[in-house]
Amino acid sequence: MNKRFIDIWGWPIMLALLTTLGLLAALLGTGVWHWLSWASMAFPLLVIGYYWRKSHIKK
Amino acid sequence: MSIRKWYLIHKWTSLVCTAFLLMLCITGLPLIFHEEIEHLSGVVEAPVMAENTPNASMDAVAEAARKQRPQDVIRFMFWQQDEHPNVTLVSMAKSMDASPDDSNIVLVDTRTAKVLDEPPPERGFMYVMLKLHIDMFAGLPGMLFLGVMGLLFSVAIISGIVLYHPFMRRLDFGALRREKQARLKWLDIHNLLGVATLVWALVVGITGTINTLSQVVIAVWQGDQMADMIAPYKGLPPPTRLGSLQDSIETAKKTVPDMHVSFVAFPGSMFSSPHHYTVFMKGNTPLTSRLLRPALIDAQTATLTDSREMPWYVKTLLLSQPLHFGDYGGLPLKLLWALLDLVTIVVLVSGLYLWIKRRQHTGQRITDLEHKHAAMAKGALR
Repeated sequence: MNKRFIDIWGWPIMLALLTTLGLLAALLGTGVWHWLSWASMAFPLLVIGYYWRKSHIKK
Repeated sequence: MSIRKWYLIHKWTSLVCTAFLLMLCITGLPLIFHEEIEHLSGVVEAPVMAENTPNASMDAVAEAARKQRPQDVIRFMFWQQDEHPNVTLVSMAKSMDASPDDSNIVLVDTRTAKVLDEPPPERGFMYVMLKLHIDMFAGLPGMLFLGVMGLLFSVAIISGIVLYHPFMRRLDFGALRREKQARLKWLDIHNLLGVATLVWALVVGITGTINTLSQVVIAVWQGDQMADMIAPYKGLPPPTRLGSLQDSIETAKKTVPDMHVSFVAFPGSMFSSPHHYTVFMKGNTPLTSRLLRPALIDAQTATLTDSREMPWYVKTLLLSQPLHFGDYGGLPLKLLWALLDLVTIVVLVSGLYLWIKRRQHTGQRITDLEHKHAAMAKGALR
Protein backbone atom coordinates (compact mmCIF):
# COMPACT_ATOMS: atom_id res chain seq x y z
CA MET A 1 0.00 0.00 0.00
CA ASN A 2 1.46 3.30 -1.06
CA LYS A 3 1.41 6.14 1.41
CA ARG A 4 0.24 9.67 0.87
CA PHE A 5 2.70 12.56 0.88
CA ILE A 6 1.72 13.66 4.37
CA ASP A 7 2.16 10.14 5.77
CA ILE A 8 5.76 10.12 4.61
CA TRP A 9 6.66 13.74 5.20
CA GLY A 10 4.54 14.79 8.20
CA TRP A 11 7.08 13.87 10.86
CA PRO A 12 10.20 14.93 8.94
CA ILE A 13 8.69 18.35 8.20
CA MET A 14 7.72 18.86 11.82
CA LEU A 15 11.17 17.88 13.07
CA ALA A 16 12.76 20.18 10.48
CA LEU A 17 10.60 23.10 11.61
CA LEU A 18 11.38 22.44 15.28
CA THR A 19 15.13 22.31 14.58
CA THR A 20 14.91 25.58 12.63
CA LEU A 21 13.01 27.20 15.49
CA GLY A 22 15.57 25.89 17.99
CA LEU A 23 18.54 27.16 15.99
CA LEU A 24 17.02 30.64 15.66
CA ALA A 25 15.49 31.01 19.14
CA ALA A 26 18.83 30.99 20.97
CA LEU A 27 20.25 33.44 18.45
CA LEU A 28 17.41 35.94 18.79
CA GLY A 29 16.86 35.95 22.54
CA THR A 30 17.97 34.80 25.95
CA GLY A 31 16.18 33.41 29.01
CA VAL A 32 12.94 31.76 27.93
CA TRP A 33 14.16 31.73 24.31
CA HIS A 34 17.08 29.54 25.33
CA TRP A 35 14.70 27.08 26.99
CA LEU A 36 12.55 27.08 23.87
CA SER A 37 15.67 26.42 21.80
CA TRP A 38 16.84 23.51 23.97
CA ALA A 39 13.40 21.88 24.00
CA SER A 40 12.82 22.11 20.27
CA MET A 41 16.36 20.97 19.42
CA ALA A 42 16.07 18.02 21.82
CA PHE A 43 12.79 16.84 20.29
CA PRO A 44 14.24 15.16 17.15
CA LEU A 45 16.73 13.33 19.40
CA LEU A 46 13.89 12.13 21.65
CA VAL A 47 12.00 10.89 18.58
CA ILE A 48 15.06 8.92 17.48
CA GLY A 49 15.41 7.50 21.00
CA TYR A 50 11.73 6.54 21.08
CA TYR A 51 11.81 4.54 17.83
CA TRP A 52 15.15 2.99 18.72
CA ARG A 53 13.71 1.64 21.98
CA LYS A 54 10.44 0.65 20.36
CA SER A 55 12.21 -1.54 17.81
CA HIS A 56 14.04 -3.32 20.64
CA ILE A 57 10.92 -3.97 22.68
CA LYS A 58 8.97 -5.31 19.71
CA LYS A 59 11.49 -8.14 19.48
CA MET B 1 15.29 13.66 -12.58
CA SER B 2 15.03 9.91 -12.17
CA ILE B 3 15.47 8.17 -8.83
CA ARG B 4 18.50 6.39 -10.27
CA LYS B 5 20.21 9.72 -10.99
CA TRP B 6 19.48 11.00 -7.49
CA TYR B 7 20.83 7.74 -6.12
CA LEU B 8 24.04 8.15 -8.10
CA ILE B 9 24.39 11.75 -6.83
CA HIS B 10 23.82 10.58 -3.27
CA LYS B 11 26.30 7.74 -3.63
CA TRP B 12 29.14 9.71 -5.20
CA THR B 13 28.90 12.90 -3.16
CA SER B 14 28.78 10.79 0.01
CA LEU B 15 31.64 8.53 -1.01
CA VAL B 16 33.93 11.47 -1.71
CA CYS B 17 33.19 13.38 1.49
CA THR B 18 32.50 10.62 4.08
CA ALA B 19 36.09 10.08 5.24
CA PHE B 20 36.64 13.82 5.71
CA LEU B 21 33.24 14.34 7.31
CA LEU B 22 34.01 11.58 9.80
CA MET B 23 37.28 13.33 10.63
CA LEU B 24 35.41 16.64 11.02
CA CYS B 25 32.75 15.10 13.27
CA ILE B 26 35.34 13.45 15.50
CA THR B 27 37.66 16.45 15.81
CA GLY B 28 34.66 18.78 16.14
CA LEU B 29 33.35 16.92 19.18
CA PRO B 30 35.96 18.19 21.70
CA LEU B 31 36.00 21.59 19.99
CA ILE B 32 32.34 22.14 20.94
CA PHE B 33 33.51 22.22 24.56
CA HIS B 34 36.77 24.11 24.05
CA GLU B 35 35.83 26.84 26.53
CA GLU B 36 35.01 24.32 29.26
CA ILE B 37 38.15 22.29 28.54
CA GLU B 38 40.33 25.41 28.64
CA HIS B 39 38.84 26.34 32.00
CA LEU B 40 39.55 22.87 33.39
CA SER B 41 43.19 23.19 32.45
CA GLY B 42 43.31 26.36 34.52
CA VAL B 43 43.31 29.93 33.24
CA VAL B 44 44.63 32.73 35.38
CA GLU B 45 41.81 34.98 36.60
CA ALA B 46 41.96 38.60 37.61
CA PRO B 47 41.97 38.97 41.42
CA VAL B 48 38.78 40.00 43.18
CA MET B 49 38.63 43.75 43.80
CA ALA B 50 35.91 46.18 44.84
CA GLU B 51 32.97 46.10 42.42
CA ASN B 52 33.42 49.59 40.99
CA THR B 53 37.19 49.64 40.65
CA PRO B 54 37.83 51.85 37.60
CA ASN B 55 39.75 50.53 34.62
CA ALA B 56 43.29 51.61 33.92
CA SER B 57 44.10 53.54 30.78
CA MET B 58 44.42 51.12 27.87
CA ASP B 59 47.68 52.87 27.01
CA ALA B 60 49.05 51.61 30.34
CA VAL B 61 47.73 48.11 29.59
CA ALA B 62 49.43 48.15 26.17
CA GLU B 63 52.63 49.42 27.76
CA ALA B 64 52.61 46.60 30.31
CA ALA B 65 52.24 44.03 27.54
CA ARG B 66 55.07 45.62 25.53
CA LYS B 67 57.34 45.50 28.60
CA GLN B 68 56.46 41.83 29.01
CA ARG B 69 57.43 41.00 25.42
CA PRO B 70 59.75 43.80 24.28
CA GLN B 71 60.70 41.94 21.10
CA ASP B 72 57.08 41.78 19.91
CA VAL B 73 54.44 44.13 18.51
CA ILE B 74 50.79 44.25 19.58
CA ARG B 75 48.40 43.19 16.84
CA PHE B 76 45.11 42.92 18.69
CA MET B 77 43.56 43.56 22.05
CA PHE B 78 40.31 41.90 23.03
CA TRP B 79 37.96 41.40 25.93
CA GLN B 80 35.75 38.46 26.92
CA GLN B 81 33.92 39.87 29.90
CA ASP B 82 31.84 36.71 30.55
CA GLU B 83 34.70 34.26 30.28
CA HIS B 84 37.58 36.36 31.59
CA PRO B 85 36.16 39.23 33.65
CA ASN B 86 38.45 42.27 34.05
CA VAL B 87 41.12 40.79 31.80
CA THR B 88 42.51 42.40 28.67
CA LEU B 89 43.89 39.82 26.26
CA VAL B 90 46.75 41.23 24.24
CA SER B 91 47.74 39.31 21.13
CA MET B 92 51.39 39.89 20.20
CA ALA B 93 53.74 38.61 17.50
CA LYS B 94 57.23 39.14 16.08
CA SER B 95 55.81 41.33 13.32
CA MET B 96 52.46 42.61 12.08
CA ASP B 97 52.37 40.10 9.21
CA ALA B 98 53.52 37.02 11.16
CA SER B 99 51.35 33.91 10.83
CA PRO B 100 48.38 33.80 13.24
CA ASP B 101 49.91 30.56 14.56
CA ASP B 102 52.89 32.51 15.87
CA SER B 103 50.85 34.74 18.18
CA ASN B 104 51.43 35.01 21.90
CA ILE B 105 48.74 36.11 24.29
CA VAL B 106 49.55 38.30 27.30
CA LEU B 107 46.82 38.60 29.93
CA VAL B 108 46.71 41.98 31.65
CA ASP B 109 44.46 43.06 34.52
CA THR B 110 42.21 45.73 32.98
CA ARG B 111 42.01 47.68 36.28
CA THR B 112 45.63 47.67 37.45
CA ALA B 113 47.47 47.23 34.10
CA LYS B 114 49.51 44.46 35.78
CA VAL B 115 50.49 41.44 33.68
CA LEU B 116 48.65 38.37 35.00
CA ASP B 117 49.99 35.63 32.79
CA GLU B 118 51.71 34.83 29.54
CA PRO B 119 50.56 31.30 28.70
CA PRO B 120 52.71 29.47 26.14
CA PRO B 121 50.89 28.85 22.85
CA GLU B 122 48.71 25.74 23.08
CA ARG B 123 50.33 22.91 21.14
CA GLY B 124 48.58 19.97 22.77
CA PHE B 125 45.51 17.87 22.02
CA MET B 126 43.08 20.73 21.46
CA TYR B 127 45.48 22.46 19.07
CA VAL B 128 45.78 19.31 16.96
CA MET B 129 41.99 18.88 16.93
CA LEU B 130 41.53 22.51 15.90
CA LYS B 131 44.12 22.41 13.13
CA LEU B 132 42.80 19.12 11.73
CA HIS B 133 39.28 20.52 11.81
CA ILE B 134 40.15 23.84 10.17
CA ASP B 135 42.71 22.97 7.49
CA MET B 136 44.35 19.58 8.26
CA PHE B 137 47.67 21.46 8.74
CA ALA B 138 47.55 22.41 5.05
CA GLY B 139 46.86 26.15 5.27
CA LEU B 140 44.43 27.90 2.96
CA PRO B 141 44.30 25.09 0.35
CA GLY B 142 43.40 22.61 3.11
CA MET B 143 40.73 24.96 4.39
CA LEU B 144 39.14 25.46 0.98
CA PHE B 145 39.32 21.72 0.32
CA LEU B 146 37.32 21.05 3.49
CA GLY B 147 34.89 23.74 2.30
CA VAL B 148 34.30 21.72 -0.87
CA MET B 149 33.78 18.61 1.27
CA GLY B 150 31.15 20.54 3.25
CA LEU B 151 29.45 21.47 0.00
CA LEU B 152 29.42 17.82 -1.16
CA PHE B 153 27.98 16.87 2.24
CA SER B 154 25.14 19.35 1.67
CA VAL B 155 24.45 17.89 -1.79
CA ALA B 156 24.48 14.40 -0.24
CA ILE B 157 21.89 15.51 2.33
CA ILE B 158 19.62 17.09 -0.30
CA SER B 159 19.81 14.03 -2.58
CA GLY B 160 19.18 11.90 0.52
CA ILE B 161 15.97 13.86 1.18
CA VAL B 162 14.79 13.14 -2.38
CA LEU B 163 15.55 9.42 -1.96
CA TYR B 164 13.75 9.23 1.38
CA HIS B 165 10.38 9.34 -0.39
CA PRO B 166 10.63 6.18 -2.55
CA PHE B 167 12.31 4.28 0.30
CA MET B 168 9.53 5.11 2.74
CA ARG B 169 6.59 4.49 0.40
CA ARG B 170 5.65 1.29 2.20
CA LEU B 171 7.06 1.97 5.64
CA ASP B 172 5.80 3.86 8.67
CA PHE B 173 7.91 6.73 9.97
CA GLY B 174 10.54 5.42 12.37
CA ALA B 175 10.10 1.75 11.43
CA LEU B 176 13.34 -0.13 12.11
CA ARG B 177 13.20 -3.62 10.63
CA ARG B 178 15.43 -5.38 13.12
CA GLU B 179 14.13 -8.89 12.54
CA LYS B 180 15.04 -8.80 8.82
CA GLN B 181 18.53 -8.71 7.27
CA ALA B 182 21.17 -6.51 8.86
CA ARG B 183 21.28 -4.43 5.68
CA LEU B 184 17.59 -3.46 6.00
CA LYS B 185 18.02 -2.62 9.68
CA TRP B 186 20.90 -0.27 8.94
CA LEU B 187 19.07 1.22 5.98
CA ASP B 188 16.18 2.08 8.30
CA ILE B 189 18.53 3.52 10.93
CA HIS B 190 20.30 5.58 8.25
CA ASN B 191 16.97 6.93 6.98
CA LEU B 192 15.47 7.73 10.39
CA LEU B 193 18.57 9.38 11.87
CA GLY B 194 19.32 11.21 8.64
CA VAL B 195 15.84 12.63 8.13
CA ALA B 196 15.39 13.60 11.80
CA THR B 197 18.61 15.64 11.93
CA LEU B 198 18.78 16.97 8.38
CA VAL B 199 18.25 20.65 9.16
CA TRP B 200 20.98 20.67 11.77
CA ALA B 201 23.39 18.78 9.50
CA LEU B 202 22.64 21.11 6.58
CA VAL B 203 23.08 24.25 8.70
CA VAL B 204 26.34 23.07 10.27
CA GLY B 205 27.59 21.85 6.88
CA ILE B 206 26.80 25.04 4.99
CA THR B 207 28.00 27.40 7.75
CA GLY B 208 31.18 25.30 7.96
CA THR B 209 31.75 25.85 4.25
CA ILE B 210 31.11 29.59 4.68
CA ASN B 211 33.67 29.65 7.53
CA THR B 212 36.30 28.12 5.24
CA LEU B 213 35.92 31.25 3.11
CA SER B 214 36.78 33.57 6.02
CA GLN B 215 40.16 34.62 4.63
CA VAL B 216 38.62 35.28 1.23
CA VAL B 217 35.76 37.27 2.78
CA ILE B 218 38.18 39.38 4.84
CA ALA B 219 40.36 40.05 1.78
CA VAL B 220 37.28 41.18 -0.18
CA TRP B 221 36.22 43.44 2.71
CA GLN B 222 39.69 44.98 2.89
CA GLY B 223 39.66 45.70 -0.84
CA ASP B 224 36.09 47.00 -0.74
CA GLN B 225 34.73 48.79 2.35
CA MET B 226 38.03 49.13 4.19
CA ALA B 227 39.84 50.55 1.13
CA ASP B 228 36.96 52.99 0.68
CA MET B 229 37.16 54.22 4.29
CA ILE B 230 40.92 54.73 4.29
CA ALA B 231 41.08 56.23 0.78
CA PRO B 232 42.01 59.72 2.14
CA TYR B 233 45.20 58.21 3.62
CA LYS B 234 46.34 56.63 0.37
CA GLY B 235 50.03 57.24 -0.32
CA LEU B 236 50.74 58.81 3.08
CA PRO B 237 53.72 57.39 4.98
CA PRO B 238 52.72 55.35 8.05
CA PRO B 239 52.85 57.37 11.27
CA THR B 240 56.03 57.08 13.33
CA ARG B 241 54.44 58.11 16.61
CA LEU B 242 51.03 56.86 17.70
CA GLY B 243 48.51 58.85 19.71
CA SER B 244 46.55 57.61 22.70
CA LEU B 245 44.82 54.24 22.46
CA GLN B 246 42.52 55.16 25.32
CA ASP B 247 41.38 58.35 23.54
CA SER B 248 40.84 56.34 20.34
CA ILE B 249 38.62 53.88 22.22
CA GLU B 250 36.68 56.77 23.78
CA THR B 251 36.11 58.25 20.32
CA ALA B 252 34.78 54.90 19.08
CA LYS B 253 32.44 54.60 22.08
CA LYS B 254 31.07 58.09 21.42
CA THR B 255 30.60 57.27 17.73
CA VAL B 256 28.64 54.07 18.41
CA PRO B 257 27.12 54.73 21.85
CA ASP B 258 24.69 51.77 21.92
CA MET B 259 27.44 49.16 21.50
CA HIS B 260 30.53 48.18 23.47
CA VAL B 261 34.12 47.43 22.53
CA SER B 262 34.85 43.86 21.43
CA PHE B 263 38.37 44.16 20.09
CA VAL B 264 40.90 46.63 18.79
CA ALA B 265 43.07 46.00 15.74
CA PHE B 266 46.33 47.94 15.97
CA PRO B 267 47.75 50.04 13.10
CA GLY B 268 49.25 47.83 10.38
CA SER B 269 47.51 44.64 11.53
CA MET B 270 45.21 42.48 9.46
CA PHE B 271 41.93 44.20 10.35
CA SER B 272 43.22 47.75 10.26
CA SER B 273 45.24 50.20 8.16
CA PRO B 274 48.74 51.51 8.95
CA HIS B 275 47.10 54.77 10.04
CA HIS B 276 44.28 53.54 12.27
CA TYR B 277 43.20 51.81 15.38
CA THR B 278 40.15 49.87 14.23
CA VAL B 279 37.82 49.47 17.17
CA PHE B 280 35.27 46.71 16.62
CA MET B 281 32.03 47.31 18.48
CA LYS B 282 29.43 44.69 19.36
CA GLY B 283 25.80 44.80 20.50
CA ASN B 284 24.17 43.31 23.57
CA THR B 285 21.86 40.59 22.25
CA PRO B 286 23.09 37.14 21.14
CA LEU B 287 22.50 38.26 17.54
CA THR B 288 23.98 41.78 17.64
CA SER B 289 26.95 40.66 19.75
CA ARG B 290 28.04 38.70 16.66
CA LEU B 291 27.52 41.52 14.18
CA LEU B 292 30.65 43.59 14.75
CA ARG B 293 30.79 47.20 13.62
CA PRO B 294 34.21 48.72 12.92
CA ALA B 295 35.14 52.29 13.83
CA LEU B 296 38.32 53.53 12.20
CA ILE B 297 40.12 55.95 14.49
CA ASP B 298 43.10 57.97 13.26
CA ALA B 299 45.94 56.56 15.36
CA GLN B 300 47.79 59.89 15.58
CA THR B 301 44.93 62.25 16.45
CA ALA B 302 42.45 59.78 18.02
CA THR B 303 39.68 61.29 15.89
CA LEU B 304 37.08 59.38 13.91
CA THR B 305 37.81 58.62 10.26
CA ASP B 306 34.76 56.47 9.50
CA SER B 307 32.41 53.85 10.92
CA ARG B 308 30.13 51.74 8.77
CA GLU B 309 27.93 48.74 9.11
CA MET B 310 29.60 45.59 7.77
CA PRO B 311 28.58 44.58 4.25
CA TRP B 312 26.25 41.58 3.81
CA TYR B 313 29.03 39.09 3.07
CA VAL B 314 30.89 39.85 6.30
CA LYS B 315 27.60 39.67 8.23
CA THR B 316 26.94 36.27 6.66
CA LEU B 317 30.37 35.09 7.81
CA LEU B 318 29.90 36.50 11.31
CA LEU B 319 26.51 34.79 11.71
CA SER B 320 27.85 31.52 10.29
CA GLN B 321 30.24 31.25 13.21
CA PRO B 322 27.77 30.68 16.06
CA LEU B 323 25.54 28.49 13.87
CA HIS B 324 28.55 26.26 13.17
CA PHE B 325 30.08 26.28 16.67
CA GLY B 326 26.83 25.95 18.67
CA ASP B 327 28.27 28.31 21.27
CA TYR B 328 25.34 30.71 21.55
CA GLY B 329 22.89 28.90 23.80
CA GLY B 330 24.74 27.87 26.93
CA LEU B 331 25.95 24.41 27.92
CA PRO B 332 22.63 22.63 27.05
CA LEU B 333 22.95 23.74 23.42
CA LYS B 334 26.53 22.48 23.35
CA LEU B 335 25.40 19.10 24.68
CA LEU B 336 22.71 18.96 21.99
CA TRP B 337 25.36 19.86 19.43
CA ALA B 338 27.49 16.95 20.65
CA LEU B 339 24.57 14.48 20.49
CA LEU B 340 23.61 15.63 16.99
CA ASP B 341 27.27 15.26 16.02
CA LEU B 342 27.22 11.65 17.26
CA VAL B 343 24.00 10.98 15.33
CA THR B 344 25.71 12.31 12.20
CA ILE B 345 28.60 9.92 12.77
CA VAL B 346 26.10 7.01 12.86
CA VAL B 347 24.50 8.29 9.62
CA LEU B 348 27.92 8.47 7.94
CA VAL B 349 29.06 5.04 9.11
CA SER B 350 25.75 3.34 8.28
CA GLY B 351 25.83 4.95 4.83
CA LEU B 352 29.31 3.55 4.26
CA TYR B 353 28.19 0.13 5.50
CA LEU B 354 25.19 0.14 3.13
CA TRP B 355 27.43 0.97 0.18
CA ILE B 356 29.82 -1.88 1.02
CA LYS B 357 26.91 -4.31 1.45
CA ARG B 358 25.38 -3.21 -1.84
CA ARG B 359 28.70 -3.72 -3.60
CA GLN B 360 28.97 -7.21 -2.14
CA HIS B 361 25.41 -7.81 -3.27
CA THR B 362 26.20 -6.62 -6.81
CA GLY B 363 29.41 -8.65 -6.77
CA GLN B 364 27.48 -11.73 -5.72
CA ARG B 365 24.94 -11.24 -8.49
CA ILE B 366 27.66 -10.91 -11.11
CA THR B 367 29.28 -14.13 -9.84
CA ASP B 368 25.90 -15.88 -10.05
CA LEU B 369 25.34 -14.61 -13.57
CA GLU B 370 28.81 -15.76 -14.57
CA HIS B 371 28.10 -19.25 -13.22
CA LYS B 372 24.80 -19.33 -15.04
CA HIS B 373 26.44 -18.17 -18.22
CA ALA B 374 29.18 -20.77 -17.91
CA ALA B 375 26.63 -23.50 -17.24
CA MET B 376 24.61 -22.44 -20.26
CA ALA B 377 27.69 -22.39 -22.43
CA LYS B 378 28.54 -25.91 -21.24
CA GLY B 379 24.99 -27.05 -21.99
CA ALA B 380 25.21 -25.60 -25.46
CA LEU B 381 28.42 -27.48 -26.12
CA ARG B 382 26.89 -30.82 -25.26
